[in-house]
Amino acid sequence: MKTIFFFAITVFCSAALVAGDVTGKVSFEGKPGAPVRLRMDADKFCAMAHKEAVLSEELVVNKNGTLKNVLIYIKEGVGGKKFDIPKTPVVFDQKGCIYMPHVLGVMAGQELQVKNSDRTLHNVHALPKVNQGFNQGQPVPGMMKKNFQKPEAPFKVKCEVHSWMGAYIGVFSHPYFAVTGDDGSFTIKGLPAGEYTVEAWHEKYGTQTLKVKVDATGKATANFSYKAG
Amino acid sequence: MFERRAKIPVENRDYAVFYIVFSGILFVGTVWSVWDEVRTRRPWKDYQAEFYQLSSEKLDSLRLASLQEVDSTQVLELQAILKKAEESLTSEEYRKAVADKDQLSRDLDIATREWRFARSRSDAAYYQFQKAKLEGRDVAPYRKEVDEHEASIAKHFAEKNHLEMKISGLDEVINKYKDAHAKAQVELQNVFAQAVAFGAKAENMRNNPVTVRQVMLNDFELTPFQEIKARIDRCQTCHSGWNDELMAEAPQPHTQHPVPELLAKHNPESFGCTPCHRGQGPALTEGFAHGVDDHYWETPILRGNDVYATCNSCHTNESTLKHAKPFVAAKQIIFESGCYGCHEIKGFTDLPKIGPPLNTLMAKTQPEWIFPWVRNPKDYNPHTRMPNFKFSDGEAEAITAYLVSVAKQSSFSFERPRGSFAGGNAAQGRQIFETIGCQGCHAVGNATTVRDARGTTFDIAPELTRVGSKVSPDWLFDWVKNPRHYNNETRMPSLRLTDTEARHIVAYLMSLKDNRRFAPASLDLSNPEKITAGDRLIREFGCAGCHSIKGMENEGKVSVELSDFGRKKYEQMDFGDTHELSEDDTVDYRENADGTVSVKHSWRGWVYGKFKNPRQYQTERIVQKMPVYTFNDDEVKLIRLFLISMTKDVPLPTYQRTYDKRMQDIEAGRRLTMTYNCIQCHQLEDRGGYILPLYQEAALGPPPLPESQGAKVQEPWLHSFLKNPTTIRSWINVRMPTFNLTDAEIGKIQRYFLGLSRQDFVIRDYAATPMDQKYVEPGRKLYEIYQCAKCHPTGSNTEGLTAEFLAPDLAKAYTRLKPEWIIDWMRDPSRLQPGTRMPTFFTEGQEAPDPSILGGNNEEQIKALSTYVWILGRRSAPVVTK
Repeated sequence: MKTIFFFAITVFCSAALVAGDVTGKVSFEGKPGAPVRLRMDADKFCAMAHKEAVLSEELVVNKNGTLKNVLIYIKEGVGGKKFDIPKTPVVFDQKGCIYMPHVLGVMAGQELQVKNSDRTLHNVHALPKVNQGFNQGQPVPGMMKKNFQKPEAPFKVKCEVHSWMGAYIGVFSHPYFAVTGDDGSFTIKGLPAGEYTVEAWHEKYGTQTLKVKVDATGKATANFSYKAG
Repeated sequence: MFERRAKIPVENRDYAVFYIVFSGILFVGTVWSVWDEVRTRRPWKDYQAEFYQLSSEKLDSLRLASLQEVDSTQVLELQAILKKAEESLTSEEYRKAVADKDQLSRDLDIATREWRFARSRSDAAYYQFQKAKLEGRDVAPYRKEVDEHEASIAKHFAEKNHLEMKISGLDEVINKYKDAHAKAQVELQNVFAQAVAFGAKAENMRNNPVTVRQVMLNDFELTPFQEIKARIDRCQTCHSGWNDELMAEAPQPHTQHPVPELLAKHNPESFGCTPCHRGQGPALTEGFAHGVDDHYWETPILRGNDVYATCNSCHTNESTLKHAKPFVAAKQIIFESGCYGCHEIKGFTDLPKIGPPLNTLMAKTQPEWIFPWVRNPKDYNPHTRMPNFKFSDGEAEAITAYLVSVAKQSSFSFERPRGSFAGGNAAQGRQIFETIGCQGCHAVGNATTVRDARGTTFDIAPELTRVGSKVSPDWLFDWVKNPRHYNNETRMPSLRLTDTEARHIVAYLMSLKDNRRFAPASLDLSNPEKITAGDRLIREFGCAGCHSIKGMENEGKVSVELSDFGRKKYEQMDFGDTHELSEDDTVDYRENADGTVSVKHSWRGWVYGKFKNPRQYQTERIVQKMPVYTFNDDEVKLIRLFLISMTKDVPLPTYQRTYDKRMQDIEAGRRLTMTYNCIQCHQLEDRGGYILPLYQEAALGPPPLPESQGAKVQEPWLHSFLKNPTTIRSWINVRMPTFNLTDAEIGKIQRYFLGLSRQDFVIRDYAATPMDQKYVEPGRKLYEIYQCAKCHPTGSNTEGLTAEFLAPDLAKAYTRLKPEWIIDWMRDPSRLQPGTRMPTFFTEGQEAPDPSILGGNNEEQIKALSTYVWILGRRSAPVVTK
């Protein structure tokens, strides 16, 4: 009984510590090169779904010189602590023969809703190395539920029917991850005070790490920078 | 001193000193012997104690970790509930109920007692009544007394019942409180159940007795005198953690076995350890148990990959084992290097010669090429399997003379007139060469992807970097058009080249030349003495072990039998002029700066040195004939691994896997697929597919042949496909060659695939497979809704296909696939063929993508689709049941 109380108290105390945020930007130096246009002629449906040219999302540099679609996550510092799996599912959509979003993070065990919003056949071929992969056809608009049980570095998801389609999914044991958007910034919320290693991952330029300290003020900054080449 | 003592009369001599000294020695000796027996010679006791300590520490830390994982809010909630339940035990209602129950219980005791007394009194009265009746007295007063007692019984009984009912009413109240309390306690305990379980395990570990653990195999093997011999293993006395997942990272001797999969079939508790690892099973100290300190122990422990050598004791007949990669690699080297050409080797009999026949050489090349090749083949092609016999110029000339004399007697002529090769374009030839699959076996220049994927220092087909300097274009044209014309036993298949394609390829290959000249200005080839000398050399060096040569048909194997080589003593080995390396040296072999060589004077050292340079141990007086190979260190180690396995110590059949008909079929197929190098392109049983790195995506290369292959294709289809391959996957450029297999060879492949799929060879009329009419229409609809045609073309109908043809033509499915397989395939394609591009449309336990057809039932939809696919390309109506 004593141990029970002891642990109850320690757990309670640690939870009571201040929670903080890590914010930052991912800047991009150099010339990104001409954007690649995706050719969707292979499937009439896909070609007709877009009025304007669709560009490859492999490398998207925002107007403010920042990099989009960079997955930022806490790599070390969280320890073996267990977190509640969010009840809200993550939506992964196929619309106009494009994956939306192009890069996403989920927590291990969290529900992933794979949607097909197109009136054409897609197959979702997930190629994880640690988790159980799948290759599922979605011939009609609809939704299927999937999840990944183990944390894993970002892996590719592709569609065999439409060779240009590709996306990346990272799976985490904790809820501290974010993806940069149109302004290249990110915020990881709710981190207890402590020292952390933050890692940024980009599909073309790989990973970078930074060490940050979240102190009593609850704020920390982590700015990453990728170079063209 | 003794002189002086001798003068003292015997009866006056003092023996106290002797007594004290000798009894002292005796005492020390006794203490030492007990200590030596109990401690020094039993190091395993410390190991075991250490293991229990280590294991319990790990369990303790797991217990702590599991405690930390406990959800604190849940604990607090449960604690609150428990506290409330505890508090309610002091409530007025509960206390009153308990007190009342106490009082009532006492009343009940009294009532019960009174009731029992009343019954006794009644019995006594009844006795008096009966007695009076028998004696003829007046019974009325007795009767009355009995009745009174009966009334008293009834009264007390009613009182007792009443009290019991009251008490049970109170019990309900009390139990309500107690149950709530117990439930809260259990729930709180459950939260910590895992931690408690770990704690209990740790406690068990601490209390485990220290004891010798042994496995006794009473009938394991035979002695050299053919008597049954037992085997006793006590390895697990020190290696306590072999089966403990927690010990995966622990240091020796506590660590977990690194390949638990192997233990599933070879359970150490019933199979022991030494059958695989060797060593001295019954010994209980490290040095003796491992057989290292015991100089005369014949089978010391095998370390590292060498342990896989013992697989061969039971699996002699098998060339592939799932969990024994080094063993498989070693056997592949022995097989591909053709060691069995000169040596008799258990398990390597009746195999084809690895070299080409040498009877018609003049059609292919000229003496100026043959001569330097015989002298040292590695000069022309460093990756050839042909070893260097280190012939002198004179010897090479003699052998060339013999081969040329044989060739001159041959009546070989080209199928087409000389000059038919002319008119090709080298650039186009190269393009064809690089797309249709020639690179699957032949390296050219820097294009060594396949060699790199194989990871061997030798190629299984000639490198063609300088082929233009070797062969004549007339021969090359004849050869690529139909390899079996020149050599009717060749493994080189036909790629069904058109004349134009063949001409392009000839133009390309003939452009691959170099200008090196190795032959002396003139070769004396017609001299009969030279020819006779060549004849003698060819016999002496056993060339006929790998090549068929006219006049040498009856030559036997020229070298020693290797089947018991593993038991050869190093005392029986000659180390020539090599220096001895110390036993403690980290390597078995070292090339010294002064050109000499040092090897360890042990069996392992000798073998290593032998394969680094087979002429190593040659001296002035001792000549050695084994030719020189260029194996790298890894290959030498694998060959040594194989030689370690060459012993006649074989366990009795009960300990062996039965080599039944199915296994025999499978093994025959494996050998055939290795002979024809099928695994260069196709992945088969976890190996091969060496060509695949040439392709961006595995799906663009030759398809794998999974274990389910036999269950997949119809036997008649496979037969005609192997006889004459047709295009199945139009997106693949590499061609399935025509091997001109005999019916018997195709039968072997059929039985091999069927054996892997655990199916029997059954004669079936696939066309007559009945189909259910009710599935046809839903099948057609589903085929459309699920857009199968988006990837699968059907016959000439390619409408709706995306840019590339992604999948096989389903109109041909009914002649190629087994109907049961189509159903299995649609359930889960990735299970049958990992990495396939075919997605699954049906998830177990979930509704089908289109729920409107056949009630959205997965199995029904799969049946409908397979029915539709089955009738898709048929001209004649299928057999339909209504």
